[in-house]
Amino acid sequence: MSLRNTTRRWGAVAQLLHWLIVALIIAQVILASLADGAPPLRRLGLLAYHKSIGITILALAVLRLAWRWMNPTPQLPNTLSPSQRVLARFTHVMLYVLLFAQPLSGWMMSSARGFPVSWFHRFQLPDLVPKSKPLYEAMLTTHAVLAVLLGVVVTLHVAGALMHHFVKRDDVLRRMLPFASSTPGSDK
Amino acid sequence: MTAVARTILALTAFLAAGVSPHTAGGAAPAGVSHYVADAAKSTLQFTFVQAGAKNQGRFTRFPVTFDFSPDDLAASKLEVTVQMNSFTTGDQERDDTLRGDDLFAVSKYPQAQFIATQITKTANGFEATGKLTLRGATRDLRVPFTFRTATENGATVGYMNGRTTVRRLDFGVGQGDWRATDQVGNDVEVTFALRLTAAAPR
Repeated sequence: MSLRNTTRRWGAVAQLLHWLIVALIIAQVILASLADGAPPLRRLGLLAYHKSIGITILALAVLRLAWRWMNPTPQLPNTLSPSQRVLARFTHVMLYVLLFAQPLSGWMMSSARGFPVSWFHRFQLPDLVPKSKPLYEAMLTTHAVLAVLLGVVVTLHVAGALMHHFVKRDDVLRRMLPFASSTPGSDK
Repeated sequence: MTAVARTILALTAFLAAGVSPHTAGGAAPAGVSHYVADAAKSTLQFTFVQAGAKNQGRFTRFPVTFDFSPDDLAASKLEVTVQMNSFTTGDQERDDTLRGDDLFAVSKYPQAQFIATQITKTANGFEATGKLTLRGATRDLRVPFTFRTATENGATVGYMNGRTTVRRLDFGVGQGDWRATDQVGNDVEVTFALRLTAAAPR
């Protein structure tokens, strides 16, 4: 597998970024659920990790988009209907939007609360917005709504991938898997 | 020339009155100025590391008395009383946690006090060495500061600025889980900028 994408398959860099972000998003959900209702100090520690990972995801999203622009994009198969194409396109655009919007809304929430964000205690990030209670409350709601929206879009994304693999029996899922052959029909 | 004679006499008397305690080495430190903090124009802040980031709080009630003469440091004295309930970190939830028994325990220890009777000259200003009593524990503390006077509306005022570091766990600020320093650092930086006005000797 090459580092770069081809028009048929995602390269190693794109795959690594994809699966790394998947793992980090799962960690985010777990940390957020654990922090909910935890005693103050434990909550502080869990949310510190949540914020650090969120910033990491934001940085990886920047790299990912840059890499996508520098590389060919594997094409969707011709077997898709126009409406399926629109849905696939919409899902992917939304995923990218949320990869930016969700960390930024969290970062703004912290800044508005007056709690500066640090990245794994290594360095302190600047405040995105001034301290403001109404803004904090608005961002708290936004962050929660975007989390639900991300859940919906990820569900669509996974359903699409599984549909390609098990129903259409094409290589759309396999070409994002590091150890799978991407030759169409090779597993038949 | 009686006018000139009177002037010289008055000047001599004035100078003698002002200088004699020093020259005579008298017990009463008349050269020492007595100051109190102008609460409206003085700040006392603390900076702590929370989750890897610097956060700030400030006290609003902390009466200060300062007896000071740069020429008579032995007679100089600094006394600060901090009303521990009079703080804010800008976050109600955090303030409530800080007030609690595991941290400031304000209901049991409503005041912190710093008393320094040893004031020395340093390269950059002065240093007050004294005892800080916080949450019932008393420890030595050194507080470097600068001091300058100015004349405002005919009155002498003093400006005192400085910072020091207090290790919260030395004073038991942090019981139970709060002893951990990974999310809330042990070192708390205390900074102050005081405007001091002349007061009657006590």
